Formats: sequence, structure tokens, C-alpha cells
Amino acid sequence: MPAAPLFGRRLTRGLWVLLILLCWEGLARLSASAFVIAAPSQILHYSATHADLLWRAFLTTLWAAARGFFWGNLAGVTLALVAVLLPRSERLLSTLALLVFCLPLVATGPILRVLYGPGDGPQVTLAALAVYYTTFLPVLVGLRAVPQGWRDLVRSYGRGGLTLLREVRLPAALPYAVAGLQIAAPAAFLGAMVGEFTGAERGLGVLTVRAMRALDLPATWSIAVIAAGASVAAFSTIGALGRRLDLAPPEVLLAAPVARARNRWEGPAHAALATLAVLMLWQGTMDAFGLPPFFAKRPGDVWDYLVTDAAARARLWDALAETLSMAVPGYLCGLAAGAGLAMLLVLAPRLSAATLPLAIALRSVPIVATAPLIVWALGRGGAGTVTVVAMMIFFPTLVACRHGLARTPRAVLDVFAVYAASPLRRLLGAQLAAMLPAFFASARMAIPAAILAVTTAEWLATGRGIGALMATVASTSDYNMLWSAITLIGLAAVLAHALVFALERWVLARTNPEQLIR
Amino acid sequence: MMFRTPTRRLVLGGGLATAAATLWHPRAALAQQAATLQLSWLHSVQFGGSYIALQNGYWRDAGLDVSLLQGGPNAPVEPPVVAGTALIGISAADYTAAAVTQGAPFRIIGVAMQKNPFAIASLPGNPVNAPADLVGKRIGMALANMPVLEALCAINGVDVAGIEVVPTQYDAAPLVQGQVDCLLCWATDLPVAMEIQGVESVTMLLADHGYAVHSQTYIATEDSLANRRAELVALMAGEARGWAEYQADPAAAAQLTVEMFPDAGLDLPTQLLQAERQLPLMFSDLTAAEGFGWFTDATVAANVETLALLGKPVTPDLWDRSILEEVHG
Repeated sequence: MPAAPLFGRRLTRGLWVLLILLCWEGLARLSASAFVIAAPSQILHYSATHADLLWRAFLTTLWAAARGFFWGNLAGVTLALVAVLLPRSERLLSTLALLVFCLPLVATGPILRVLYGPGDGPQVTLAALAVYYTTFLPVLVGLRAVPQGWRDLVRSYGRGGLTLLREVRLPAALPYAVAGLQIAAPAAFLGAMVGEFTGAERGLGVLTVRAMRALDLPATWSIAVIAAGASVAAFSTIGALGRRLDLAPPEVLLAAPVARARNRWEGPAHAALATLAVLMLWQGTMDAFGLPPFFAKRPGDVWDYLVTDAAARARLWDALAETLSMAVPGYLCGLAAGAGLAMLLVLAPRLSAATLPLAIALRSVPIVATAPLIVWALGRGGAGTVTVVAMMIFFPTLVACRHGLARTPRAVLDVFAVYAASPLRRLLGAQLAAMLPAFFASARMAIPAAILAVTTAEWLATGRGIGALMATVASTSDYNMLWSAITLIGLAAVLAHALVFALERWVLARTNPEQLIR
Repeated sequence: MMFRTPTRRLVLGGGLATAAATLWHPRAALAQQAATLQLSWLHSVQFGGSYIALQNGYWRDAGLDVSLLQGGPNAPVEPPVVAGTALIGISAADYTAAAVTQGAPFRIIGVAMQKNPFAIASLPGNPVNAPADLVGKRIGMALANMPVLEALCAINGVDVAGIEVVPTQYDAAPLVQGQVDCLLCWATDLPVAMEIQGVESVTMLLADHGYAVHSQTYIATEDSLANRRAELVALMAGEARGWAEYQADPAAAAQLTVEMFPDAGLDLPTQLLQAERQLPLMFSDLTAAEGFGWFTDATVAANVETLALLGKPVTPDLWDRSILEEVHG
């Protein structure tokens, strides 16, 4: 009778959910006068009485998010393909992709609104911008997860890069693409919601702003629950689709160590080329769209401003130092927590049913809605900011690392099974190495995510650092300072990226040489 | 004397010419000039007069096809006005002054809020009734508004160093939760939200303590003032008519707002209370005598003085009354 234990397990799970809901309800009722948590019953009541409104808003946001999801992922995959087919362009492409991903909403919001006028153009664009980078990196890793033998085989038949791409690389990239798409689902929804802050007429983001100002907790929490629910649903659907597609078991990826015969001038030459390309793209786009220099500052304006104004330079440096002192610990904590939990879930798989939805929920609710809760719990000091940063990084890292772990070659696992190795032994000996490329991809993805999180937390809660500076100067039309801050943030991101990249090459050269073959 | 006898050809020709002319300018008489009004925040009864003008066709009758663009947390008013996407933007004198310092060619052509809506909200158990009460208190506010607090303290001789500033998001939760003793906010939003939620609060309007900054001001570029005068006049005339009706029946304006924007998540009690609270800020003896949006050399001088304290020195030239003079003339 297999039905009975299954039924029993469901019952236990149901009881757990009920218990959690009861605790939530009790906590909310006890802290009602503080206006922090809405009780499940209040959320249910609000959703039922405003079902019409919420449904319309949800459809609006979902439609923008879906289109952003499509375009963003298309862009991410295209970039990865170009980077693999034209390996020389990779450094330049990843630098440009990173910089565009780092552009903060305070700067892009007004520009997109002026470019698109009324309508949902900015929401779709911001949703696309929120996802392309987190698809680009995992897909790139996947396209490289190819055994040396297969490359040699294709070459021995006299075929070129395109055949290799079609027959070997694309199938290898599929599971990684699924990880990218899973990370993208909540990000696209969040991007569309935040995009509505730029003056959209309707949608869940608009309702969030209104509900928070009105101190309407049931409304805020209903929207958060809907956003989280939609993201969890998209996440699981993509995961299920991925499991159907991912038929080939992971291969043993053998590759010869890469000979390090790099030109001493290659690094600086790349950097110079990337800088030039960024400056031309920046100036060119603004000129092409005829954006008024009042709010769309060109590279020359920023240069003049920073060179002539010593006080501004000092202000900017202080703010950046303050921001980095929060971002770096948060970044490290988030990475450690994400990778740590992914490994823990390998050792104790039954935990994943409880932790994954929570992790997705944390990622899909706008920081503006979660920040008050964190501030209430942890205060306005450094702890709150570090937590916000760690929280934003934790989820993509967890997802990417789980997918990496799942790519452990079957043959290797069989060897461990034959010797009856303990799960811990198996994790450290076999699975960890399979996880490393994905881990480093998420370490790179996490750089702009950390910047976004820290600047938002600074703007909303601590009022210090470069995030608060950008919010302040944007409200007083000091667009010179705003664009200078953006430039500095971009530089910091590129430097951090270079650092992680170097570390990645150093580690992967020892563990996963197939990733380094160009 | 030669008369041109109406021949068939002439009649035909004339008819064809007329037909061609109507084809060429099919709706010349009905042509609607498109104009955009950029609002400063999400739709609410804060812009009730504009909704009345739109609903009753005051702009349509004047040949103007007005669209109202709502604002938002990341939708500043100044860029679309500079870019020409919006003909008129709703700003405030301090924001406009900052933008002008940064090179934006703005003029203030009307003032919807004669009294600045900034207020200090506190709880009755620990109230702030006068600027002196601020000393020793924790005030929650956006750091961007620091100059506002400094100006208030300078005007009233209060030592700003004695106030603990806590940067907060713009909502009433930190006050209700006891993280701060008072909030710097608009008298027409957070106190209204608290009252609707059953939390009693005390508000002290900064305008009652010497803080003279025009708010909800209409701004346009110098270029529009030179080249699009007729549209500016028509738009402002519609505003004046709409707001006159609002003044007569704010409850109807609240009702209209809720009906007009079903997707905005507005609720009638909040809108009614807000509509009522903003009346005394918008209408005064001055507007009763001269008309909606009016300003005088004296009120401008008071603004120039406060703006100097805010670190935004401007000259009275920033204000341009010529549009209002045509509207009310």
C-alpha cells in the first residue's frame, strides 16, 4: 500500500504549513500596533475584496514582465553565442554587459520615460535589463562545458565552430540555460514592477507605492504574496520543462591543462579598447536620441565636473568608501550562504521543499517592500544593509550552484557509490568541482546585484553612501553628480569583476580546464 | 461694368476647390493641439482640478488635447519638460530653483499650492506643535530634505544640531513603530493615511512658521513661453476652471478621481479626507481676489528669501505671471 505513507507525508506537510500560518497570524496580531506584518487572514480578506483590481494589475505587470523576459533572455543568449564564436570579443562584451547592468534606476528611469513616452516601454526594458546578464553568464559557462575529446572529434572531421556549436555546445548549454531562465523569472517580474515607478499608469508596482504610503499593510502584503507566487510558479514551470529537456546525463569533462602563453600587453590593450567602446557607446546613444544634456550627461560633462570640482570629488570618494564597506561583507555573506545552502541541500535533499520557495519569495518582492521589515528587525545600522545585500545575492547563487552540483558526471558518482562513500565525502570529492564554474558565474553575476542592493538600502534606510547620494542629487536635478556617481560605480564593478575573473581562472585552471579553452 | 456671370465651370471649379480644401485640411476647424501635463506624483485627488477640466472638456473646447502623465518614485518632472515631452510640469519652487541652477530654462507660470504642504507630523503623546519642540527629538525624513529642516530652524532660531535626523523611507510606519518621534512629510498624505488607519496625529505646517515656498507650481520652458503661448494659456485656463469647481465641491472631485482611475487602487474615504485637507493650502484671500494660481511680488519676494536659506538663490525673474494675466484678464 504505497498510498498510505504518501498520504501520511502530505498530512504532515499540511500540518506544518498550518502551524506556520498560525504562528504568522499570531505574530501579526501581537504586533498590529507597529504596522510591520499583515496577518494571513487580513491578506486573504484584502485579496478577496480587491480581487478585480489585483487581477488587472497582475496581468499588466505580468505582460510587461513576460515581454522583458523574452527580449532579455534573447539578448543574453545572443551575447553568449557571440562570445563563444568570436572569443576575442568576450572581454569587451562582458564588460559592456556588466556596465549596462549596473545602470541605476534613478538614471535610467527618466531617460526611458522620455524616450518611450507614456505606455509600458520602460517597464519592458527594465525587465529585460534585469535578466539578460544573469542569462548571459550561465549560458556562456554551459557553452564551454564541453569535453576536449568531442572538440577534437568535430575538428578531425574537418568541421568548424558552427558544427561544434550545433552538435556539442548547444546541448551542453541547455541545462545551464535552464538555470539562467529560472533566475530570470523572478528578476523579470521585479524589473517590471520597479519599472512602473517611472510613471506607469497601472500595475502591481504602482499599487505597492500607493499601499506603502497609505500604511495599508494588507494591501502591501497581498501584492508581495502575488509577486512571490507568480515567481515561484514561473520558477517551477521552467524547472519542470528543463527536467524534460535535460535527457543527456552529465559527461565527464576531460580537458588538457591550458598552456599559459599570454601576451603581457593583452590585458591593458583589452582594458583600453573596452573603455573606448564604452565612452563611444555612451556619447553615441545619447546623441542619437537627442537627449537634452540637462539630464543626460555625456562623458565630457562628467570629466569636466570631476576635474574642476574638488569638493564634489571628495564627496563622491567618501560615499563610495562607505558603500563598499557595506557591499563587500554583504557580497561575501550572500555568496557563502547561497553556495553553502546549495551544498547542504545536496546532503539533506528533503529540506529543499521548504527553503526554495522562501528563497524565491525573498528575491521577487521589491526591496522597497521588504526593506522596512528588515530595518524593523535589524535596525538602520550596518547589519540591515549587509543583510539586504546578502539576501539579493543569495538566491541566484543558490540556484546556479544547485544546477552546477547536478552536473556532476554520473560515472564519477557511480565510483563513489561503489566505494560506499559518505554523502559528505561525495560532495567534497566529486560534486564540489562540478559546482565551481557555476559558482564563479554567480560570483560574477552577484557583483552588479550587490551594487543594486546596497544602493537601494542606502537610499531607503541608512541615508548614507553612494545610494543616498544618487537619490539626493537626482531630486535636486544635479545630474552631473549623478552621472559621476554612476561612472564611479561602473568602474568599481569592472574592477571587482576583473578580480573575480582572475581568481576564477586561477581556480578553474586547476579544477575545470574545459572552461578556459578559447 | 463687367460682372462675372456664374458659369457652370466657375461653380464647378469653386466647388472642386472647396472640396479639395476640405480634403486637404479635413479637420482644420476641429484640429486638436496635443499637449501633455506632467503630474508630480501618482494619480490622486491632489490633481483633482485637472481631472475635472479633462472630464468636462474645458481643454477640448479650447482646441487642446491634453494628456495627463502621472509621476512616480523614479519619474522626476523636470526631464520631460526640458525634453519637450511635456508642455507643462507640476513641480515646486525649490525643485525648480535647483533645476534652474543646473541650467534648465524654466519659468514658474502658476502656483497651485499657495501654502507649502510640508509639515511635521507627530503623535499626540509626544507632540511637535512649534519648531522649538523639535529639539531633542528624532525626526524621520528623506536626507534629500535636509535643507528644508535647516531652513525651518534658521527662520525660527532653533539649533538644528539638537535634532536627531533618521533617514527613513517616505511612509508613516517609522513614526507609528516608535523608531522616530516625528516625520517630515506632506500634511495631505501621511497624516491622512494615519487617520484612515485609526492613528491620531498632530501636524505642524511649516508654512505657518515662516517657511514660504510655493508648491505644486506650474513650470514651462522659456522656449514654450515664447513659441507656444496660446497652448499655455488654454491649458492654464482649463486648470483654473477645473480648480474653481474643485473648490466649490471637493467631495465631487474625490469621487471623480476614484472613478476616473479604477486601476490606481484609490479608496474614497482617503481621497475625501485628502481633498478637504488640501483646500486651505490652495485657496486663500489672494486667489479669491485675483484667481486660481495667482502670485504677487510680495509672495515671490518671500519665496526668494526662503529659497536663499535653502541654498538655492534665485531672482524674482524665475516667476512669470504673463500667462495667468491672460487667463484671468
